[in-house]
Parts: sequence; C-alpha cells; structure tokens
Amino acid sequence: MLTLQLLVNGVALGAAYALCALGFVLVLNATGAVNFAQGDMVMAGGFVAIGLANLWPVPGLVLLPAVVLLTGLLGLAFSAIGYFPLKSRPPVSVFISTIALGVIFQNVAMVTFGPEPRATPPLLAAGNIDVGGLTIGIQAIAVVAIAALLVAGQHVLLMRTRLGQSLRATAQDREMAAALGIRVNLMIALTFALAAALAGVAGLLLANTYFITPTDGTNYILKAYIAATIGGWGRLHGAIAGAMLIAVFEIMFPALPLLVPFLPAAIHGMFSQTSASIVLYVALLAVLFLRPQGLFGEIAQRRA
Amino acid sequence: MSRHVPTSRLMPLAGLACLVAWPLVFTSPYDLRVFTLVGIYAILVLGYQFIFGHAGALALTQGAFFGIAAYVTGILGARFGWSFPATFPLSIVVPVLVAVVVAVPVLRLESHYFALATLGIAQVALLIAIRWESVTGGANGLAGVPGIGAFGLVLPRGYPTLAFVWGIAGVCALVAWWLMRDIRGRAFQLMRTSELAAMSIGLDTARLRFSAFLLSAAFAGIAGALHAHTLRVVSPEVLEFHVMVTCLAMAVIGGRTRVIGAFFGAFLLVQLPEWFRFLEHYYLIAYGGALLAMIIVAPDGLAGLLDRIGARLGLKPRQTLPSPVPLPSAAPDNVATEVPLLSVSGLTKRFGGVTALENVSFQVDRGEIVGLIGPNGSGKTTLVNIVTGLTPADAGEVRLMGQDITHDPAFRIAQCGVARTFQLIELVDDMTCLENVAVARLTRLGTGSGRPKGSTKVDAPLDLAKRQAAHLLERLGMSDAAFEPAGNLAQGLRRRLEIARALALEPRLLLLDEPAAGLNEIEQQDLAFRLKDLRTSGLALIVIEHNVPFLMAIADRLVCLDAGRVIAAGNPSDVRADRNVIAAYFGAQPQDGLP
Amino acid sequence: MRYSWLTGLMALLMLSPVHAEQSAPVDVSIPVLVPITGFLSLEGTSQRNGAVLAIRNAPPNLRVQYDVVDTGVSPEGAVNALERALDRGSVTAVVASMLGTQMLAMLPIVLERKVPLVTVSGTAQITEMGNPYVFRFFPGDDVTKVAHVRYAVEELGLRRLALVYQTTAYGQSGRRHIVENLAKHGLAPVFEEALEVQVRDMLPVLSKAKAANPDGILIHLHSGPTALFIRQAAAMGVGIPIVAGSAMHQPPTAALLEPEELRGVCAEANASPVSGGTPEMERFLQQYRETFGVEPDGFALGQYDGTMMVLEAVSKGARTPAEVARALAGMRYDGVAMTYKSDGRGNMAHSAVIMCFDGRTRVPKVVKRYDNITGALTP
Repeated sequence: MLTLQLLVNGVALGAAYALCALGFVLVLNATGAVNFAQGDMVMAGGFVAIGLANLWPVPGLVLLPAVVLLTGLLGLAFSAIGYFPLKSRPPVSVFISTIALGVIFQNVAMVTFGPEPRATPPLLAAGNIDVGGLTIGIQAIAVVAIAALLVAGQHVLLMRTRLGQSLRATAQDREMAAALGIRVNLMIALTFALAAALAGVAGLLLANTYFITPTDGTNYILKAYIAATIGGWGRLHGAIAGAMLIAVFEIMFPALPLLVPFLPAAIHGMFSQTSASIVLYVALLAVLFLRPQGLFGEIAQRRA
Repeated sequence: MSRHVPTSRLMPLAGLACLVAWPLVFTSPYDLRVFTLVGIYAILVLGYQFIFGHAGALALTQGAFFGIAAYVTGILGARFGWSFPATFPLSIVVPVLVAVVVAVPVLRLESHYFALATLGIAQVALLIAIRWESVTGGANGLAGVPGIGAFGLVLPRGYPTLAFVWGIAGVCALVAWWLMRDIRGRAFQLMRTSELAAMSIGLDTARLRFSAFLLSAAFAGIAGALHAHTLRVVSPEVLEFHVMVTCLAMAVIGGRTRVIGAFFGAFLLVQLPEWFRFLEHYYLIAYGGALLAMIIVAPDGLAGLLDRIGARLGLKPRQTLPSPVPLPSAAPDNVATEVPLLSVSGLTKRFGGVTALENVSFQVDRGEIVGLIGPNGSGKTTLVNIVTGLTPADAGEVRLMGQDITHDPAFRIAQCGVARTFQLIELVDDMTCLENVAVARLTRLGTGSGRPKGSTKVDAPLDLAKRQAAHLLERLGMSDAAFEPAGNLAQGLRRRLEIARALALEPRLLLLDEPAAGLNEIEQQDLAFRLKDLRTSGLALIVIEHNVPFLMAIADRLVCLDAGRVIAAGNPSDVRADRNVIAAYFGAQPQDGLP
Repeated sequence: MRYSWLTGLMALLMLSPVHAEQSAPVDVSIPVLVPITGFLSLEGTSQRNGAVLAIRNAPPNLRVQYDVVDTGVSPEGAVNALERALDRGSVTAVVASMLGTQMLAMLPIVLERKVPLVTVSGTAQITEMGNPYVFRFFPGDDVTKVAHVRYAVEELGLRRLALVYQTTAYGQSGRRHIVENLAKHGLAPVFEEALEVQVRDMLPVLSKAKAANPDGILIHLHSGPTALFIRQAAAMGVGIPIVAGSAMHQPPTAALLEPEELRGVCAEANASPVSGGTPEMERFLQQYRETFGVEPDGFALGQYDGTMMVLEAVSKGARTPAEVARALAGMRYDGVAMTYKSDGRGNMAHSAVIMCFDGRTRVPKVVKRYDNITGALTP
C-alpha cells in the first residue's frame, strides 16, 4: 500500500518534471542549445499564476489558459533576447545567455513578489480523496491529468499538424527546412514559446503542492537536464520517461528501508534524501560512462 | 597569445600600469580587500581558460575545484593548525587528484554531457561538504582559517596580503602565457575548431584536453587556497553553482583565451556588484543584464573587443615572413622494398545495416600516385577515414610499411607519416596561413625527428616551426598569403593550404579527399603539377577524385570502388575503359567511356 | 584611513564639555548589512524591517543615518559590505546578517576595528569565540531548543520523538541542541533524518518516521519545507503532535497552510508578534504592518529590540563604537519581546516562547513562556 502511495506521489511529481523536461528538449532540438533558464520558466509560470490569482481569485484551471498565453509570450521575448542575437554562435554562448536570463528572471520575481515561499491556487479544489486506503490529493490527480493532456496535445501538434511538421523539419535540419520554404526563425521562436508555456504550466501545477520561491528554478532545470540525458538527448518521450524515473527514484529511494524488509537496520541511515541526490548524480555519471547515448539512444542533431 | 603583435605588447603594459595604479589610488581597507579578491578570481579564471577557453570544453567543475581547495586549506589550517607552506601545496594537489579521477569517465564525453557530468560532480562535492559535518563543519563551515604565513609570522591584511596574492597572480599569468604562447595556443585552437584536423596532424587531443583539465584544477586550487586565507572562513557557499557561474561569466566577459582577459573579467565581475550596490536588490538584475549584453556585443570578451578597436585604429602591424628553412630531406625507411608502403586487406565496415566497405584490398608503393574513384556513396571517404584511424574497421587490416596500424588512434597514425586532407576543408579560418601550417610543423617537431639539436634558444622549436612553415608555403606558392586569415582565401588556395599543412608532417603517404573540387581549370593544372612534384621525394599519394581527366594526368594507377567493393584496379586507361566502372558511373547503359 | 581620523575627531568632540549639554542631536550611523537576496532573503528582509523601524523610532536626541546593504548569502559578500560600511565614515554599530557563516567571516574584522555587530543569528559558534563585539538578540539554540524539548517532553508528555531537520546551518545546529536536550531528559530520538531544502515530497520521511512508532515529531526546517511537512502530515493523518522550529512562527509559513492543517501544531520562537499580548507588542505589530505592509516575525522583533537597545545606549551617552559595545555588554534592557542582558559572551536573549495553532486561524497563541533559561538575567 505504501509502495502504491509513494508511486502515486512520484508520478505526480514526475508529471510536473516532465513538462519542464519536454520544453527543454523541444528547444534543444530546434536550436541545438541547452536552455539553462527552463527551470526559471517554471518559477516564472508559478509566479505569473500567483500574480493572476491575486487579481482574480479563481481555481487554477481557469487561470491555466492565461498562464499559457503569458508564459508563451515570455518565451517569445526570451528567444528574441537570449537566442536570436546569438544563433550563429556556438551553442555554449546560448547556454551562458540563458544563465544570464535566468539570473534576471529570478531577481525580477524576487523584487516583485518577495522572497517568501508562495502557493498557487489548486487546479480544482484542495483536499484529498480516499481510494481504497490510498490518500490521493485532488491536485495530484489534476496535475497528472493536465500533464498527460499536454503531452498528448504536444504529440498531436508535432505529428498531426502542418505547423508541427514545420517545427519538426526545423528541428531536424535548419538548412533543409529553410530550403523547403519553412520560416525557420518563426518556427524557432514558436518552439521557445511552446517550451515556455509548458514550463509555465508546470509552475502553476507544482507551486500549489510544493510551493515556489524565486530561486527554485535551479532545482527544476537540473532535473530536466538529467531527465533529457538519461532519456536520450533529443528524445521527447525519453525525456518524459527520464523525468518520471527521477521523480519516482527521488521518492522511493529514501523509503527503501520500509519497502525492502530484509535490509539490515545498520544501513537504514544510508537511505536519506541527501543520499538520494548523491546516488542520482552518481547514477547519471554511470549512465554517461556506460551509455553515452543515454538509456534510449540519442537523436538530437549535432551543432556543437 | 594575441594575434596582433602591437596590441599584445601594448595591452599588457597598459593593463599592468592600471593594475599597479589601482591599489595606490583606492587605498581603504575595503578597496584593498576587493582588489585582493580580484587577484584571486583572476587566478581562478586563468585556470578556467585552459579547459573552457583553449580546450573548448564547457567544464562546470572549476567552482568545485576552487571550493575543494578552500576546504583543504580550511580543514588543515583551522582544525589541525597547519600553516601555509604545508597547506598551500596540498590545496593544489587535492583538486588535481580529483581532476585525474573524474577525467577518466568524463573527459571523453561530448559537450552537453560533459557540462552536465561536471555539474553533477560539483553537486556531489557540495552535498558532501554539507553532510560530512565532523570534518567540514557542515553547513556552518569552518571559522578561524589562519592567514597566509609561515614560522609564526602571518601576513597582515591590506597591502602585504594584496601584494602576495597579486604576486602569485602574476606568476600564474606568466605560466599561462608561456604555455599557450604563439602557435602553442594555436594547437588548442585547431583542436576546438576541428578535432578531426587536430588528430590528423598528429595531436593527441585526449591528452591535450587532459592536461588542460589538470591545469585548470591546479590554478583553481591556488585560487581556492588564497580565498580561504583571505576570508578566514570556509563554508559550503564556495562550492555552490553561483561560484561556477561567476567564473564562467568572468571568462566570457574578459575573454576566453587571453591572459589579460582573465584579469579584465575578474576585475569587472568583482567590482560590478559593488558598483551596483546602490541599486539595492535590483543590482542582480543589472548584473544579469550586463552579462547578457557582453555575450551579445563582445563574443570574444573585452580582450577581443580591445583587439578589434586596436585593429580599427590601424595598430595592426606589418609582419615579415620568417626566413624559410627547408624541411630535412626524408631519410629512406629501413623497410625492405618488397614490403609495400601501404597494404590494405579485407577491410569491411558497416554502419547499422548499410555496408560501406566490403572486403577491400589494395596496395600502394613508395612514390606512387593512386587515384581512388567511384560514384557517390561508394565508400571512398570511409576508406580514407579507416586508413587514417578516424573510423574503426569492422574487419580486415591496414599495414604501413609492414606494421599493423589498423587499431592505432588517428594521431598515432599521423605521427607514423600518414597525412590527409578533407573533402570539406578543415582549416582554422581565424588563424593565418602561416599559423595553420606552423601548428602542424610544431607538432611534428615535438614528436618526431626534426627537433633542432644544439640550439640554446628557448623557443628554438617554435621558431624553427614557423620558418619551416614559411618554406612549405613558399613551396606551394603561397608566401604572399602567409599572414592572411585562412578564412579569407579562395577555394583553390584553401586546398593548397591544407596540402601544405599535411606536408608539414613529413608524410610518407598523403591522402587527398577530392583536392580538385571547386577549382577552376588553371588551378587544377597547377595542382596537378604540384602533386606530381611531391612524388619525386618518394611520397606516395592516394587521391580521391570524381574529376577523372585530372586523375588521368597524375595517377599511376586507379582503384574504383562501387558499393563498398573494389570493382576495378590497375592502369588508369584500362580502369577507365572497364565496363563495370562505366556501369557503376552511368547505371546500366555503358557509353563510350568516362568524361 | 578616513575612518581612523574621524573616530579621532569624534573622540575629541566627546571630550569637549559642549557635548554634555545634549542640545544638538547626536549623529548616529548604523549600517544595515543583511541578506536581502538568496535563500535567506525572507529572514534578512525581516531583519532589515526590524532595524529600520527601530531607527525610525529612535529617541529624539539622536539623528540616525543608515544604509541598507544586501550581503547576499556568501561570507565574501558580507565581509565586503562590512569593510565598505566601515570605510564610509564613523559607524556606531552594525546590524549584521543572521547567517552564521557570514557572521563568522565578519568577526575577525570587527575585532580589529572595534565595532559592535547586532544580529539575530542563531548560530551558536558566533558567541563562543571570545569576541566582545558580537551581540545576539535572538535566543540561540541553547535557549530555544531547551524550550522546544521541554515543551514536548514536560507539557505534552512525549517520550518517543522523531526528529526531522534541514541540511543547513540552521538545521544542523538545531539538531545538535535538540539531541543534547533530549539526553538531559534521558531520551534519544527514535528516528532522525536530515532533508535538503529542495526536497519536494515529505511522504518518504513521514512514512519512515511513522514506522518508528513515535508519539511526537520534532521538526527543525526552514519555512517552505516546514509548511510542506505539516501539510503532508495532515493529509496522511499522522495523528501525533508536531512541535516545529522557529520557521513555523513566521507568518508566511502559516500563510501557506489552511488553518485546519495547522491544528495542534506548536512552534518555538523568541516571540510571536502577530499574537499580540502586551500593549508594546500591539503597538509594534500595528506600526510594522503600517510601515511595511506585511506581518512581522520574531526575527524582525529581535532585530528591532537589539537596534533600540543600541540607540538607548547612545542616548545614554555611549558615543564611540567601543563604548556602545561596552554599554551593550553591561546594560539590562526591557525590550518588546523580552528583557535583554548579556551573559558575558554577547548572548542577549534568554527567553523563548511556545505557540500553538488552534485550527481556526493562522494566528498562533502563545501557550508557554520559558524565561531566563540560561540564568543570565539573574542578578
């Protein structure tokens, strides 16, 4: 029962990580560059939602479209400042410019909203429901549902629409896409908008359960980066799987002494949440060492 | 390390004058402290330039090395009362040892993975510092780190500490400059521009990266130790990502490869937050904005910006070609002449399900020119890549003068005397022609026979390399372009420059991948003439070419590949008339012959 | 340089008989060096507000000049800010960051320059180094954790306690004192775990704690994690008392939770300004709300009291920083939160309160005062 409960919490956390990782990989595919401010986009989404909720106290679900719109616009502005002036430079320049933008985001949030942790309104309502002895937050269910919808929507957008075709062509080969008459710059800008909107929704979802402070972005970008790596550089579905894996690991690992009955009590102390982080990083290094192409192989085009 | 002589002379002097003047003008304890910190961060950045600037790898461990060194100093100094002469060397050794250990799994990774892996290592170091309370003092860290001193004497704050730190910074700057001076630094530039080209001239790129990584760690160790001594406390803050970002920003803003850039970057990024203090909590926004603006406006940092301004002011010098010195004449190899120079047997290579080469065998003799033809995708370039060690073969073997080189790394094969050019020219566009060739020549001098004997001049190999490079340019008729950046050249000259670079290796075998592509008729004739000339010195050539008339003029033999198999080999006119060859080129309808 | 001749001049002025008349207002300079950015900005902002409010309420014979400088969270930032403030001219006293590592870095400098630091830092070490220029107006862990443990053990009668703390200086120091105090009652935690600030899900640690079959949980976490922990504990229905560290008394922490989730939760602190109580407290509360538009916490109040004590010392005749330090070391001062007096090492606060939430509002009620825990107030 506990295992199930932990798993449910892990999936809810993983769903939000996945949205962040998804945006990270979309930008990665379109530009070949790591967007280190993707975590700060999550934070920005959370605070946009908090700002809106202050003006207009309605459930999160009602705020969702506005958050998508506003963070999408933020993504456009982000690409105009942080990516386009640098698009002919090596990817590391973009990496650094996104770090700089992240610093700006964090401190604008700090100045505007102050340093204290805040919570966004719940999507539908607060509270828990009991399902056969499992306590599941209504928010957790809503988070997983929204994340699943967005992932599916994103899949349909990329695979089934003309716009998606253009986006994918751009991600695969910019020169070829340009030769086919696709407006490559527009596609890249839209990718940034899409990535920012996904992160923004992640912020809205996460900040209700886990709260948000202006400096929280760093944690989310690290998770997204690791998820993208173990999921296979450039693989959208791999990143989602990676995000789930990380979240479930984070939650299950410290609880192992409860789940595995025959563990000697002497080593119970080794299963803390700090050691979970250390093990996660060491596992990451092991993955990189043994399978540099990620668990599922990589597909991103090389521009480095 | 600068490209233009006068700015490289003027700027350090002007910089030095400012450096000396600054602490004499701003004399309060606060100013002196901040300026001491500038010196410490400059050392950190000088180190970071090795791995990030020169080797071109986005390592995110520099902050961790810095923090580890600070902890070594802190733990030994505050807990055990050791003094500077003991803690300082250990604070350098420990991060270097950590670098050695992590380099093994990490250094071979590609850029984005490398960045993440190094970030992971830094995070682990931070977590350990926080959790290992009994040793590190936990999140509170350690207070009471002694000042810099020995035998009971401690350097007072203010000028003495400042002078000491800046003295070390000066030494570090000299070391960094010395290691990367002139075309030595160009070898790194070649490596980060084109790893393939670097390996093909015999540079052991893995070793270069490794040594750059260790140097970075050593410099970070020096900086970390001095930081702990200056602040007198060590806390997990020194290991946080923030320190790494600051270091990265300093390198980007100052300039990634220039010694003076490290000082610019350190100065600005230590001072900037202090200057922006009046903005209260808005100052970090201004800081982020300044960083962003610098990346966009000055991609080569302030050092590069000043260079550009210098060039605009007409400070660019007239440079004179070093007097050419011919390369030593090739000693005849001691291998029996029955043994062919190159023998390839049974080579097979598959990419996924596609067979690129299937059981390919042929030989090349000394002084022979072999033309390699075949339709697109027939495996010609793959064959060259396998012979030069860039691509591993699935089966078969490659022997050079009887020696098995099938599994040797590319740089070793290059050192054995196999040189090549590339289908898509791999030159460093920002480097002059002379530099492009001299790098290869210096590499050869460093590893091979040509080391000058009996010379007392410190930079004799460097000097000789440039003069021999000048000779090679002369031989290929491009002395006039010696100081032209390679990127400015026309296609024909670029091809020739690549050949000059290959010749700098004193090769026994030269592989040319489509050397005539993009050349006009006159250029082609000129090239053909020069290639035939090369053979007279015993050099063998393998020339991949679609342009059959060009090959007919120079080749002793032709080998034709189709779908990874040798379908014809021998006398050029026989091969050209071969029905299989014609079929391969023109599909099922054989015509009168090839164009 | 400038500093030394200015102090010299000040000393001369003080010796002059004119000064004793107190006709012209006395100039006082109190730089406020606190972490407004970084992970401690919530507490740092409280510190600033407390100090600024005190300066606004300064006795009329003083003309107080102050600068607020952000120290960030690095020792380097604090030291730079301090040196800079000291270079700016004569400084009476410094309101200094509550971050322990920053205090530790600033201590050697004030020892050299003889300027008192007034702080609400909880880090035990800062007053253990024999430095006569540090004054702590927030009860250290050697005071608050006594109250924390005594309340849990004596008032709630808990015996099997689980302990969850943060992997920060705040958490690690608190944990040490909790374990020591439990030992004085002949107890040891039945479960212990440290959490990083980034931990998002408290289910694993709650499940493990529950498996150890405790009768109460002591937590010593920062604001966000405290709220997360209490919310998930409520959702799980752990059904045992939770006694939290001082972060729980901060109004932004309670604001993250529903009143119902807070039912039965208790916390330690130096004081609970939002709970009111005395007329002085009500006045402080009202003025703070009006000035800053937010709710005050105990850090703001501690810093307020400390800064007021400095101003009182100056008003009573202390002029140089060294004199202020001597006055602070000898005076007894009745502040809004409690009576302050140095224990000889710069620990000024010796009282703590326990407050509990009743499940109906987010404003806790003070249920127990522990005064003079160290005995320093006893004449």
